[in-house]
Amino acid sequence: MSRQLLVNTARPGRFTAAVVKNVDLSRRYFLLVLERPSGFAEPEPGMFIHLLPPAPGRFFLRRPLSILDSDDSTMSLIVVEKGAGTQCLRRVAAGDKLDFIGPLGNSFPHLPGERILAVGGGVGLAPLFYYRSKWSSKPGGTASGEYRLLYGARTQDDLFLDRFDWRPDDALFATDDGSHGFGGNVVELAAREIERAGADVLFSCGPSPMLEAAAKLARAKGIPHYVSLENRMGCGMGACRSCVVLVRDGEIEIYKTVCNDGPVFDADDLVWDKLPKG
Amino acid sequence: MRMAKSDISIRIGPVVFQTPVFLASGICGYGEEYSPLIDAGKLGGIVTKTITLRPRMGNPPPRIRELPTGALNSIGLENVGLDVYLEDKLPRLAKRNVDVIVSIAAERAAEFDEIARALAGAGGFKGVELNLSCPNIDEEALDHGRDPAFVEKITRIVKDRLPDRAVLVKITPNVTDIGEVAKAAEAGGADGISAINTVVGIDFDLDTGKPFFYKGSGGYSGPGVLPIALQKVWEVAKAVSISVVGIGGISSVDDARKFFIAGASAVQVGTSLWQNPELPGEIVSAFTEHPEWMKKGPY
Repeated sequence: MSRQLLVNTARPGRFTAAVVKNVDLSRRYFLLVLERPSGFAEPEPGMFIHLLPPAPGRFFLRRPLSILDSDDSTMSLIVVEKGAGTQCLRRVAAGDKLDFIGPLGNSFPHLPGERILAVGGGVGLAPLFYYRSKWSSKPGGTASGEYRLLYGARTQDDLFLDRFDWRPDDALFATDDGSHGFGGNVVELAAREIERAGADVLFSCGPSPMLEAAAKLARAKGIPHYVSLENRMGCGMGACRSCVVLVRDGEIEIYKTVCNDGPVFDADDLVWDKLPKG
Repeated sequence: MRMAKSDISIRIGPVVFQTPVFLASGICGYGEEYSPLIDAGKLGGIVTKTITLRPRMGNPPPRIRELPTGALNSIGLENVGLDVYLEDKLPRLAKRNVDVIVSIAAERAAEFDEIARALAGAGGFKGVELNLSCPNIDEEALDHGRDPAFVEKITRIVKDRLPDRAVLVKITPNVTDIGEVAKAAEAGGADGISAINTVVGIDFDLDTGKPFFYKGSGGYSGPGVLPIALQKVWEVAKAVSISVVGIGGISSVDDARKFFIAGASAVQVGTSLWQNPELPGEIVSAFTEHPEWMKKGPY
């Protein structure tokens, strides 16, 4: 497979939209469904919105949240309580208005006909889940069966099994404690799947140790690997250069922004030992 | 009956700008990045990200630390360098009809001269802002920005090369007497003083006991620095008779008004763009309705 150019295409705007619902998924995770404002460009899987926690004077930075799903009237996000900002978001209720900029960033390449193995953990589920609902529901999209979604968590509790339309025939689960699906981590499950059924390309999104393990696996198997990164951001527009990561560019190393050059990168380009841990 | 639109243009040295509201250097990149959200053609202009003679990679991440009242940053003057800026970045802004003030930095007088000479041969900008005050580079370079003799010398070198452009000198708040540095820039022929740059600050990681940033200190900006910036602009405006451009912590129209009361004749909006990219346009609209707000206080 030739390397795909990762570009962002949608023109972002700043919007205020009402919360449709805020649903607890587990002890730490919740699902935010927002009205999709008219004028909000069609997002691609991997893109994010930059959302301001609704507590003026308490938080200065917006929070980048990857889009889990989007239709004509709504847009959903999966959020994990990590600090005071996401705690504040957990308390929003239907009807509350939220301020965000988006859609931002680039996206996972659309690869019809390729056998894609998508490896996710935590909120890294969002772009991988969205990729599947977007591209396998469209003519010419990646047909069901060619896109396999592998999702890992500590326990069954963080898998949200009855919350989403998982289409179990092409979704596989891993739990550290073996309470559901494969007992072990999701990258070990990916290795088993590659042995069992093969794969042409790997996508990954999740905690950094998982991404690193996925990168090792893809290198060992000689499979192209696209990875979506997280980072603290200032502008989200590629201007302030706060969210940079070190990337190989031919013989040299340069800084690229996660917000605008990413969040999706070719794993071979990343300087893995210099990535932010999180 | 609708009133005729009032004229809120300002003059800085030899140059007229259509409004007194600018985007501050660093926050808006090279001007293109924010174009989906900000129509900079309606503003006084953009002060582009500081460029140096050669490209700079900037500081290793992390580069940003959130505070309730703004952020600490440690970008370290990452930039594409003068050549790429002139060939690629500046022409794009000219096509967009955006007025540009080019922010430049260097460590030695000869480098300032080389940059100014190259700029003199290029078109597409109305002014330059000498960044003599970024806290995120070497301590030695920042010390230069605190030295009145160096400030005067550099200002004169650049102004001599660019007599028909507005030459602003951006000075640091991290000095005992900001008025002395401002006077030195005025003596060197500056058309205006931009104040302030970020306030030096530091944060520590509680797990490691080390500074949060690789370089240790960073630059503090955002709403929290507003009273410091107003104080410094007030001091500068008393010390010099050239234009003063107020920068620091503007997050509302009222904040902008206070800089004019303190003696500024223009303002730049920076870090608050992250929250409200529409703010510069809102300030322009408000001042167009109320041109009397451009007067110095007390009223």
